[in-house]
Order: sequence, then structure tokens, then C-alpha cells
Amino acid sequence: MFESQMNPAPTEKVEEIFFSALEINSPAERNDFLERECREDAGLRSQVEKLLAAQANATRFFEDDGVTRLPMDELARSLNETPGLVESLSAMGSQDEMVGKLVGPYKLMQRIGEGGCGVVYVAEQEKPVRRGVAFKIIKLGMDTKSVIARFEAERQALALMDHPNIARVLDAGATETGRPYFVMELVRGVKITEYCDQNELDTTQRLRLFIQVCHAIQHAHQKGVIHRDVKPSNILVTIIDGAPVPKVIDFGIAKAIEGRLTDNTIYTAYEHFIGTPAYMSPEQAVLSGVDVDTRSDIYSLGVLLYELLTGRTPFETKELLEHGIEGLRRTLQEREPQRPSVLVTTMQGSALTQVAHSRHVEPLKLASILRGDLDWIVIRALEKDRARRYQTANGLAMDVQRYLDNEPIAARPPSRLYRLQKLVRRNKATFAFGIIVALVLFSWVGTSTWLLQKEREARKRAVAAEQQQSHLRQEAEDRERIAMAAVALGQGKIEEADGFINKVSVVTPSLEAESVLRALGQWHVLKGQWAQAAARFKLLLEADQLDNSLEITTDLLIAGPILIERGDQQGYERFRRAAIARFSSTTDPIDAERTVKICLLLPADQATIRSLKPLAQVAEATFEKDPKLAGVNSIMAGWRCISLGLMAYREGQAPAAKEWARRCLTYGSGVLPRAATAHIIRALACHQQGVLDESRSELEQGSRLIEAEFSKGLREGSGATGYWFDWLFARVLLREAEALIEPASPAVK
Amino acid sequence: MSDVTVILDAISRGESQASDKLLPLVYDELRKMAAARMLHESAGHTLQPTALVHEAWLRLSGGKSQSWQNRAHFFGAAAEAMRRILVDHARRKARLKYGGGQQRVNIEDLEVAEAGPDEKVLLVDEALEELERTNPERARVIVLKFFGGLTSREIAEMMGIGKRSVDRHWECAKAWLFQKIQPGA
Repeated sequence: MFESQMNPAPTEKVEEIFFSALEINSPAERNDFLERECREDAGLRSQVEKLLAAQANATRFFEDDGVTRLPMDELARSLNETPGLVESLSAMGSQDEMVGKLVGPYKLMQRIGEGGCGVVYVAEQEKPVRRGVAFKIIKLGMDTKSVIARFEAERQALALMDHPNIARVLDAGATETGRPYFVMELVRGVKITEYCDQNELDTTQRLRLFIQVCHAIQHAHQKGVIHRDVKPSNILVTIIDGAPVPKVIDFGIAKAIEGRLTDNTIYTAYEHFIGTPAYMSPEQAVLSGVDVDTRSDIYSLGVLLYELLTGRTPFETKELLEHGIEGLRRTLQEREPQRPSVLVTTMQGSALTQVAHSRHVEPLKLASILRGDLDWIVIRALEKDRARRYQTANGLAMDVQRYLDNEPIAARPPSRLYRLQKLVRRNKATFAFGIIVALVLFSWVGTSTWLLQKEREARKRAVAAEQQQSHLRQEAEDRERIAMAAVALGQGKIEEADGFINKVSVVTPSLEAESVLRALGQWHVLKGQWAQAAARFKLLLEADQLDNSLEITTDLLIAGPILIERGDQQGYERFRRAAIARFSSTTDPIDAERTVKICLLLPADQATIRSLKPLAQVAEATFEKDPKLAGVNSIMAGWRCISLGLMAYREGQAPAAKEWARRCLTYGSGVLPRAATAHIIRALACHQQGVLDESRSELEQGSRLIEAEFSKGLREGSGATGYWFDWLFARVLLREAEALIEPASPAVK
Repeated sequence: MSDVTVILDAISRGESQASDKLLPLVYDELRKMAAARMLHESAGHTLQPTALVHEAWLRLSGGKSQSWQNRAHFFGAAAEAMRRILVDHARRKARLKYGGGQQRVNIEDLEVAEAGPDEKVLLVDEALEELERTNPERARVIVLKFFGGLTSREIAEMMGIGKRSVDRHWECAKAWLFQKIQPGA
């Protein structure tokens, strides 16, 4: 029996019988057939029967409509989650009434694409020369006459452009039905982003293509033409002699049809945005005709670079349009984009793998390639304030080139370590590891001097590259001073370092500037030199703009009390407004709590309190979500109580203020300035309630702690014991309380 | 568009590395076509993926008559591409449905009896992976028929086997896969 099963191969036999049985419809006949084929082999028969039983269900499973038909909209939606897909969609199918028509000397041959503002055809030009051209018909809803008039106005400038990376615009006119059209050099190619991904270009190859794009834009700018609509679908890559060549198309068209932007109706403007808001510069987003200059293209180039590097735009189109036109403008004008390296580290596994794969790099390595120089170049190009961007496309291209050549870039004030890294990368062969260590350890002074020399050269280059404009020179000089101060600080020469900083008036955001200014500011504080300290911290608030928000809010905690300490009431008011503007929509509980605290250190008007209320709610919500917050981080929880207590007091909610301050004291009294602050808040709240005895006793407790600390002289402190600026904070509040609460008269006592 | 023709010609000239380039192109084209459909049709319409594959062939072959061999290559790639599209889609949807950041849906959690089109796609794909290891020829028949929508005759011609063999593969594979998917049945 076993033998009969083994020979011939059982599955084959089972299947042969099964398949033959399927062709027999009558159950009786089928039964006879099985009887005959399987004889006494019960095992064989049961296997065949199992298959037959499964078959009926299987056919239903595989062949009913349910399997092979999917809800179309749903599938399409998920396909459309791939960014850029819809945009790149050409309207499929050939049912286009324009194909075959003759418009002027152009015969439309084939529809090749559809963009935000029009449909593109391949057309054949008959006269004066026979050639293929791209023919773009602008969608309905435009004022044809003014579009053509604007185009004519720029025609001469467009004609002057002659660059291998620019597709020339040849003609414009109106169709029979009155729709404006443009005729361009025909470029057969794919979007630059698509080309890079399809061919898995690595970062270096992408940057080389990008530099060519910058050169094209620079050429146009020199001829006085601003593109205004730089985006991937306007940069096509074609292969010429085996090498990829990017071609920028649609020059002059955005200008010609821009009338829509100044239209009063949001509707038309909104429609215009669809497709490219992600590439729009902040100044373009402002509807009222702010003059858009060449630096708007620089911003869009920055977005392009961002996308080439990370696969994403700084802000996604969907999220930009989520809150309507206002939200779009606010985001573009106020929100800082994530650095490319930070963005890729926050990507989800599969997305990151995909992005890294199409860049031919390990997922984990991508962030480290982007971190540093490329981050800085991108951020510089994406500056909200156009005066802080690269001033020319050429400047941007040069910086990318410097990165590729491992030279110091201009976008970032070089630190010693940074310059050393560059030096080593440039001279890998000659710099054995040991030599570097020796260099670092034993010849700091020599290195620093030598590096300073390099820094001066870099500065000279930066200055030359960026058109010698005076504010740029000022910036470059100030960067050099900061670099020198950093060197001096490294050698322990604090006063010398401070001397350099004393002359600094403009600070470009950088980590190096931050650390120098923080160190020197604190040095002045501990020496009691408030004016100098305040000056350093003011610069610090400029320098930390690109850092993460937690660093910034820490700096707010430092700078706030210093301004008050100096008696600079106006300065504090400005500071408070800026802090609220920047953080009023944060959802980070720590940032929220710090902003509330620092902005309520002095009494505030109702509007200010109202604008801080949502932040207080963010901070308060953490207690609801996680009642055990104390266990996790009692230092943070305690400070959060201070913020909420202060908020309650400023709102006139004395009982709540007292309760928060009491709660704060339950988190331990190790953080003395915090405990002191809690007592003072209780004192103020009791005073508000008219409970004067309690008020005085609380004040007494707070005041004793504060006086003890200041009599010893301020020290740096730590998170666990409280920092010097926490003591300053407490003392500011103490003064407010002392002015309100009169000491008990001896008689009452 | 002509890219596909160029690649197909290269394949028929025996440049085997060219076939690697075919799949991504076809894949992309199918995705675009599916997405384009959405723009022209109202919600609630259903899509027959296999019809899409045929339409893609008509578009990409440029209307010129192509050799049988080219057609076979194209449909081989297109069926595989459609499989990926459907599986990706089903995974994404299942993830949303079953929540969490889970990368892969646990096939055990799916009930065949209630399986919708998406779940079915996932179940078939998973079982097919195993069949591909044990009986690649049979797996190919399933892919061409189930995801590519080809007839038995076309598949027979393409694979150079008899039509009866194709039918037998199809019937056996269906029963086998179904048992695999639903052991209790």
C-alpha cells in the first residue's frame, strides 16, 4: 500500500486524477471514475476528494468579482499617497479635441502632460522652420489679453537668454477660443526628482545636477528674468551624449499669468496655489503685491535641494493647504522647516528605506550625510527673510560646490572642529589618525592660529563670492570675531574672548555663536555686570534661532530676568511679545510651560494673559495624561506647577494659584529657587484674597531663601539645585510681592 | 512610452539585463493609469486590475504589432507589477484597519470567510510565496492569470506548454492555495 503511494510520485498522481475528475460533471460518473482510478488506495482517494472539496470554494474565492475588482477610488487614493504622482499625471487617453488642430503655424500632435495651469502638447511648427515644439495652453479663467501683454513685455528679456540648461520660450498667442498659449523649445525628459529616484542617483550626483540648475537660474537672473515657479515639474532632465542635462522650462510664464495672484478673490488665488505651494517663497505667499525679486527663486531652489536630498519638501502641500490661505501664509512666513538631517531621522522605517534606497545609501547613513553642511546650506537658502538667504543662485551653487570639494562653506560660521574635519577630509592621505590626535592635543595654539588663517581666507572667499555687499561683509567679519572668541575661550582666555564679542553687532545663527554667547553672558552675570550680560544674551537670542526649541526656551529663561534686572522694561516687553509670537502654538509641554512662566514674570495685560492661556493648558494637560509625572521627572513637574500657579495668580484665581504652589512644594525642596518662588506665589495669592497673616509668613519664607543665596554670591548651579537664572526669577517676583505686602506693624505682631 | 518598446526589443535581441528595467516602468505606468482613472470616474466605481494590465499593453506597445515574445515579457512584468500594487495597497489598508505601526499584517488574524478583496490579495500573495519555492512554474501561471488576467491559451503560448497543462496548473493551484489559506476547509 505504501509502495503504491510512493510510485508514481503521489502528488502528481493525485493531481492527475483530480483534474480528470473535474471534467466529469455527473456525480455518479465521477464516483465511478474515482473508484476505478484509486482502486483500494484509500489514501489516494481521500487526497483527491479533499482537493475536489476545496475546488468549489476555491473557484468562488479566486474567480468571483470580489477578488479582481477593487473599489477604484480607494485604490487610487492609496496610489496617490505617493507624492507628486497626481501632478505628474498626464491626462491619459487620446480623447482630446485639440489633437490634430492647427493653431497659427503650429499643428498639435500629441498631448504630453497637464500641469497646474495648463495642458502641454507636442506640436509641429511648419513655418519658418519645420521643428517640434512644446505647446502649452493655459487653462480657462485667465484674461488672455493681459497675459499676452505681460508676456510681450518680457519677451525681449526672454529672447536674451541663451543657456544650455534653459528651454527657450519661443512664442505666445491666443487660440481661436481665446485661451492664451505659449510655445517652447521641446524638451523630452522627466522631472528632475523622478529622474534622480529612478536612476538611484546618490547625493553627490544629485548635487551636481542641482548646481547646473542654479547656473541656469543665475543666467536668467543676469538677463533680468525671474522664473517665479521653480519646481521639479519645471526642471526636466534629458540625456545628451550620455550625460543627464537638466533643462529649466516655463521661464516667463509665471510672470505672464501672475495676474491671478493679485486677484481679490481668494478662490482664484487658492486655485493658483494648488500644485506648487510647497515651492512658493514666503514673500510670494503674501497676496498683497510685495515685490518678488530674484531671491524668491533662491528660496524655491532651496526647496528643490531639500526635496532632492530628503525626498520631501520642507512643508508638504497637503499640510500647507489644510488651514486655508491664511494657514499657508502663516506657515511659510513663520514656521521654521526641519533640518533635512532631522527630517530623515523622524521618517518611518519603510519611508526611510525607500528614500535611502533611491539615493543609494544605507538608511542609517543618510542622516549623517545631511547633517552639518548640507543642513546649513538648505536652511540658508530657505531663510524666511530674503536678506538672509544666499543673495544669488551662484552663491548657492558655489557653496554646494565647496561642500563637494570638502572646503568650508559660507553658510555656516566655521568652528574649529568643523574646519579640522574639512582639512582632514581634504587630505585624507596625509593625515594619519595619530597625527591628528597629536595635533589636537599638543598644538592647540598653533592649530588655532593656522585655522584662523584659513578662516580669514574663507572669509575673503565668502565676501568675494557674495558680491561684496556691505552687510554681508559685516556678517562675515562678525562671524570671524565669533570664531576668534571661540578659539580664545578654548584657551581659557575669557576676557580676550569677550573683547571680540564686544565688537559684534550681527549674529548669524550658529551653534558656535550660541555656545560662545551663553558662556560669556553667564560670565558677566556671575560678575554682576548686568549691562554686558544683557547685551550678550540679546545676541544669543539671535544666534539660537536655528537650534531646537528647548534650547531656545532655556535661553528665554535666562534672558528674561536679565532684562528686568537691568531695568529695561521696554526690552522685556519686546522680548515677551517675541516669545509669545514664536511659541504661542507649541504643543511641547516644556516649551509651553517655560514660555508661560517667563512671559508672566512681570504683571501682564489681559490680552497677553489670554494669548498664553492655551500654552498653560498644554502644560496642565500633562498632569491629566500622566498623574505620575512627578515620579518621572519631579524637577519638571515642579516647575510646571510654578508656571500654572503664576498663570492662576495673574488671572486673579487666588485659590488655584495657592494650590499649584502648594503642589509644587510637594515635589521636594531640593530645588531651592523653585521652593522660594512657590512661597512667593502663595504670598501673592494670599494677599489677593486678603489673608494677610499667611501672606506675610509665606513671603518671609521665600525671602529668607533668596537673601541667603544672594548673600553668598550667585553661582552657576545645576538642574537639581536650580540655576542662577532661577534665583534671578525668584528675586524679580519677590520684589513684586514686597512692594504689595506691607510688613506687619509691631502692634499686630 | 517608447522606452518600453525599446526595452522589449532589447530583450528579444537577447539582452537579458534589459528585463530588469521593464518591471519598474510597467509598474509606474500601471500606477499612473489607476490614479488617472480616479480623476475621471466617480467614487464607488470598481477597478478591474487585469483590465488595466491589458490597457497598459495597448498604450505601451505603441499600437505597433509586437512579437509574441515581447508580449509575453510584457505581461510577465505587468502581472508581477499588478501583484505588487495590489499587495501594497492591501497592506496599507490592513495596517490602517488593524491599527498601529505594525509593518506587516499578521496573516493569521484574517478570517477567510469575511475576507474582502484586500484581505484576499494578501492571503493569496502569502500562499503564492510558498508555491513559488516549491513549484515555480505553477506559481507563474497563477500570477499571470490572477494578477495579469491572461487566458489559458495566452499563458500556454507564452510559457511554451500545452493549454491543458495550464488549466491543470490553475485548477490544482487554486485548490492547493485555498487549502493553504483555509486549512479547515
